[in-house]
Parts: sequence; C-alpha cells; structure tokens
Amino acid sequence: MKYRAFVLTILCILFSAGTALARSEKLFEVKAKKFVYTPNVIKVDKGDLVRIRLISEDVTHGLFVDGYNVQTSAYPGQDGSITFVADKAGRFTFRCSVTCGEFHPYMTGYLVVAPNSRFWGYVILTLVIGLGSIAFVFAKNRKEQEDGKG
Amino acid sequence: MKKSEFLAVVLIILATVGVIGGIFAIEKYRRSKLYTVELTARAPENGNWYPRQIKVPYGQEVTIFIRNIETVSHGFAIPDFNVAVREIKAGETAVVKFTPDKHGRFPFMCTVWCSDRHMEMNGTLVVK
Amino acid sequence: MEKDKLFGLIDLDARIELTRFKPIRWLLKSRWFPLLLILFNLAVFMVILIAGFVGGYSAGNYNFGIMVVWILWWVLLMFMLVPVFARAWCLMCPFPVFGDWFQRRGLFQVKPGNPNGLNIKWPKSLKNMWVMNFLFLGTTFFSGFFTVRPFATFILLGGIIMVAFLVGLIFEKRTFCLYLCPVSGFQGLYSQFGMTEIRRKDFEICKKHIPKTCFVGNEKGHGCPWLLTPFDFKKNTYCGMCLECFKTCPYDNMALNLRPPGVDLLADTKREPRGLDEAWKAFIMLGIAIVFFLAFQGPWGFIKDAVRATTLSSFLAYIFAHTVFNLLLIPGIFLVFAALSKLFSGNKEVPLKKVFVNFAYTLVPMGLGVWIGFSLGIILPNGSYLLHIISDPFGWGWNLFGTAHFPWTPVFTYPLGYLQGVVLLIFYIFSLAYGFRISKQTYPELNQAKRGWLPIFSFLTLITLVFLWLFLGT
Repeated sequence: MKYRAFVLTILCILFSAGTALARSEKLFEVKAKKFVYTPNVIKVDKGDLVRIRLISEDVTHGLFVDGYNVQTSAYPGQDGSITFVADKAGRFTFRCSVTCGEFHPYMTGYLVVAPNSRFWGYVILTLVIGLGSIAFVFAKNRKEQEDGKG
Repeated sequence: MKKSEFLAVVLIILATVGVIGGIFAIEKYRRSKLYTVELTARAPENGNWYPRQIKVPYGQEVTIFIRNIETVSHGFAIPDFNVAVREIKAGETAVVKFTPDKHGRFPFMCTVWCSDRHMEMNGTLVVK
Repeated sequence: MEKDKLFGLIDLDARIELTRFKPIRWLLKSRWFPLLLILFNLAVFMVILIAGFVGGYSAGNYNFGIMVVWILWWVLLMFMLVPVFARAWCLMCPFPVFGDWFQRRGLFQVKPGNPNGLNIKWPKSLKNMWVMNFLFLGTTFFSGFFTVRPFATFILLGGIIMVAFLVGLIFEKRTFCLYLCPVSGFQGLYSQFGMTEIRRKDFEICKKHIPKTCFVGNEKGHGCPWLLTPFDFKKNTYCGMCLECFKTCPYDNMALNLRPPGVDLLADTKREPRGLDEAWKAFIMLGIAIVFFLAFQGPWGFIKDAVRATTLSSFLAYIFAHTVFNLLLIPGIFLVFAALSKLFSGNKEVPLKKVFVNFAYTLVPMGLGVWIGFSLGIILPNGSYLLHIISDPFGWGWNLFGTAHFPWTPVFTYPLGYLQGVVLLIFYIFSLAYGFRISKQTYPELNQAKRGWLPIFSFLTLITLVFLWLFLGT
C-alpha cells in the first residue's frame, strides 16, 4: 500500500511538471541597472504563468526573453511588465532590448524553466556517446588483437 | 606586366584614399543640402544639448539635424510646435523639419530617460 | 594494412583535388586572384577605420566597425573560414599589403633582384607561437573596450596595420603574419583541423626540380612568403594560403585539396613537431572562451564591471585572474590528467612532456566547437544589427539599402540552445576520434594506449559537460 502511494506521488510530480495542470502564477520584480538585472536568474516551473515587472534604476532599459520573444521596457518612474506562460522548458537568456550604454549587448540574465530537460538531455547524450566510444575502443581493439594473434 | 602593375596601383589608391575621400565628399555634399541647425545630444553629465540655445528665423522651414553621439538613447521634442522624435538610438541621427509660426522662446527637451539627470536635458529654441 | 578511417567511414588519406578543375587552377595561378580580394578587403577595412573613428565613444552595437569586425568577421572565421578553408582569411587579409608592396617593389609585378627593406631573419628561438600567445591574451584583456567602443577598435586595427608595415620594413617576408599577428596563432593551430590544404602532388617531380622555385621564387611569383618549403611541408599551421607556390611551380605540381577534417592533428614530424607553444595556444583559446562566456553572455554584473574597468582595481583583478586561469590553471589541470594518463598506461619510458603535448591537440576540435557555440550565442540574437549598419555605416543618417531602420530582431533564440548542444557534441566526437589515435601514437603498445586514453577521455568529457552547463545549464 505504501509502495503504491509512493509511485502515485512520483507520477503526480512528473505529470504536473510536464503539464499546465498545476499552473501557478509567479511574479518577479526585476530591477535593471547598467548592466545587470537583479535578480539575474529567474527560476520557474514549466507551465507557470510568469509575470515580470521591470523596474529601471537609471536609464531606459528593456527586457527581451529569448525563446519566448516577449519584451518590455522601462525607465525610472515608468515600469514595464510582461506576462507569459512558461511552456518551453530550458534555460533562456533574457537581454536588454533598448540601447542603454556601451555594454548594452552584454546585459543579460537567465530565465530557467524547470525541469531543464534540454541540459540534462544533452548531458545524458554526451555520457552515452562518450562511454559508447570507450566500449567500442576496448571491444574493437580486443578483437583486432585476437585476430593478430590468430 | 607594366600595365597590370599600373592598374594594381590605381586600385590600391582607390581602395584607400579613394574610399576615405569619397565617403567624406559624399557626406559633405549631402549635409550641405540637408540641414540648417546641427544639434548634438548628450546626457547632462556628459555635456547636455549642444548648443543649449538654437536660433531660427520666423516663417521659414527649419531643418534640425540631431546627432546622438552617446551610448544611450535620447529623444527630442519641441512641444510648442508639435515636433518630436520618439527615439534617437545611440550613435544615430535624426532630422526634424518644421516651420516656426510663433515668435518667442520655447523649450526643447529629451524624451527618453537617458540618465539620472534626464530631466535637466533641455534647451531653448529662439524664434526671431 | 587496413586503412585508417574516421568513424569507420572516411579514409583519412582521401583527398579531393580541387585544382583538377581547370577554372580553379586558372584562378589560383592568376596574379590577380588574391590581390583583388585583398584590395576589396582593404576598401572595407578603410570603411571600418572611418566608422571606428567617427563612431568615437558611442555605442558599438550601431557601429559598422564594431559589428563587421566582431560579429561578422569573427563569426565567419569560426563558422567557415577556419574549420573549412583553414587559413583562407590570411589569403585575403589586407594587413600585410603595404609591407609586401614595399618589399617586393611592386604590387602586382614580380621584379627580379633583392627585395627592399632590411630583411632581417626572425630569431630562431621565437619561431613559434609564444609571442602570439601572449599578444592574443594581452588583446583579450581589453575585449571589454574593443568590442563595444568604436574608437578602441579603430586604435587596435589601425595599430595592427601600422605594426604589420613596420615589421615588413625590418624583417623578411611575412614575419609579422608568421610570428606576431595576434589572430594568426589560433588560425594556425585550428587550421590543422581545417578541411582544406595546399600540398604538392608528386614528390618525384619536386625532387628533380632544382632550384626549387616555390621556395626561391621566379619571374612568375615570389618564393614562399611564409618561409615554408611548399614541396614537402605536412601541416597547415604556417601555410597562409597566399598561393604564390601555384604561380612559381612550372609543373603545376601544387594542389588545393579537400580532406577529412582534422588530419593534421596526427602529424608530428621532425621539421614540424608538436610543441608546447601550440599546446598553450589550445589552452588559451579554451580558457578565453570560458571567460568571454562568463563575462559577455552570463548574468553576472560584477564580472562585466571588472571587464569594462569601472574601477582600476577590479580591472586589474580581472586581468590577473584571466591570465592565471589561461596560462596556469587550465594547463595545470590538464597536466594532472596527462600524469594520470601516463600512470594508467603503465608505461614508464614515455616522457610526461610528450604525453602532455600530444594530448593537448585533442583540444583543437573541442576548442573550435566551443567557439562556434559561443559565436552562435552572439550572431543569432544580435545579427540583425548588421542590416542597420550596412545601410548607415557611420551613423550619419544614410540609408543605402533601405534597412537603416530595421529594428533589433533576435532570431532562432529558441533553437539556439539546441544548436549549441549539437555543435558541442559533434566536436566532442571529433576530439574523441582523434584523441584515441593520438593515444596510439603516444604509447607504443595498444593496451597502454587504451588505458592511457581513459584520463584524457575523462578530461574531454568534463570540458564538454562544463560547456553544456555554460550554454544550457543551471
């Protein structure tokens, strides 16, 4: 019985991570100042409704979210805001979209939509390829050696 | 061989002196046709509008050529004449044309929040 | 003996000779061919200089000089010129043209007799990549200025072309390109991976051919300006692809070949040995990619502040950390893995230095992949600036092609991460494929090679995971 409950919980977690059923709303107040955002990393779960309020502390800044193609801008006294559903998992850079100074192209932050399946997918793929190559090297050359002897 | 060498030398002169001279000559000609007043936009702590005061004649079309030589965006507006440029990006230029139909002194200002002292970035237009 | 095949598919000795095709051969033999390209690039370069000068201290993202050099040129170099065409950039680079003109006493014509200038030989102890390693690393100290301030780019490029000319007055031939140009070093090292090569066809013809006109020159062309011996060199590293040997060879015995990527990584001859200088080049390129990513594509403000020198002390701290990281830390970590490799192999005779140097070449494909991934993260979000700057190169309100008001438009930002991952994996596979071959070259016995390969394999996997984390992670 205990075992069944455990499996069910796991399934529920997996399921809710993958769908919008458990959609929750998340609000972030992002402060922009030459050339950094605070917070610089925003973490949400896939399916969340994300609201970002952009507050500028010096000049006109923008915020564009890679992958989601949404943007807003703000200057002191005039906040910007964007709302979107985080339906794509992975890490996306958000970047300033209004030229705000010489380092403007480098003004970036991260939006992490968990689970970061892209990253872990590639990690697993790398390990599979790597270990596969090792297995291949050892197996193939053993065969060559035996052939050489025979 | 002699002919080719001559051609090559002509080409390298064109590629260097020709390009530089050509670009500046074109620009000089273009500007001579273009503007009557040149205005440089900088945030107040970096020098503000230059010049702060511009004088234009009454009743004649005026062209103002605005250069933003900074790293932030600026805007430009003369509310009394309904003249505005929403955004002049860093390193870019803008041209506004209007005909002054009122005498007096009128403020012009930046319309993009460009620095802590953005509100001080203004100047005066004098119509004689 | 069975042929060595890359991934069991591509014969490493396979070549497609492009000069077999008449128009290509004709083109490469024409004295106009590289010259016209050079002159075209010289004209573009003049536009870059003007844009850098009039751009002054304004924002770099709307400046022709900044965008063409640091977005277009750099990305082309990493995507195409180096991995496919080896050192094809050197073929069309405008920097040495004034020095060449002076030395050769002619821009087009080939005059018999002694060249102009002092023609001093570069000291033998410096005939390697060390000077370029330090110059390139030194240049990256100021990347927070060069890539964003038009005037800084003006000073850098103007300075390089002046130095190139001055070195041409004093030293022989292309000494500047060979041993001083900051970007020559990595092009040399990475062109070992390049899929194009210039080599002689039939050695028998060269053997009988005296004097060797490809080296001493004749009325058709100059002796190899890159001081190679075109009749027998084996590696792309110092071949600037200037095509003089195609002109000087009376037997049409020079070939431009397509080849499988990476074959030079296995070449280690007495005249073109593997060396510590090239190993360090590989470390530096890898390290700079990490630092640049953290500074320019990461979210950390304090690194950006240090790189753009908001305070002198933070800038000095950045320079110090950057230098130690590239010159000591990465090579240090690699040394540990090299030592482990020797330990695992059980071979006591092989010198550790040989293990260290040989395996450093496995970082060449890796490094290329890393730089392509990094460049994707620059060109896809910011490539649209190019449309603006070609229409309004000087910020004077021009609109040459009607695209001056094209807004900043990031493209393919969703696939970006996937693309970076795929690129990393592809070059990881190349590194593994060549890595094990290098292991077989390093250790005399197959069993030792297999065991000795394990630590290096772990290092390469680790580096791949680090970059996956940088590009996609947290």
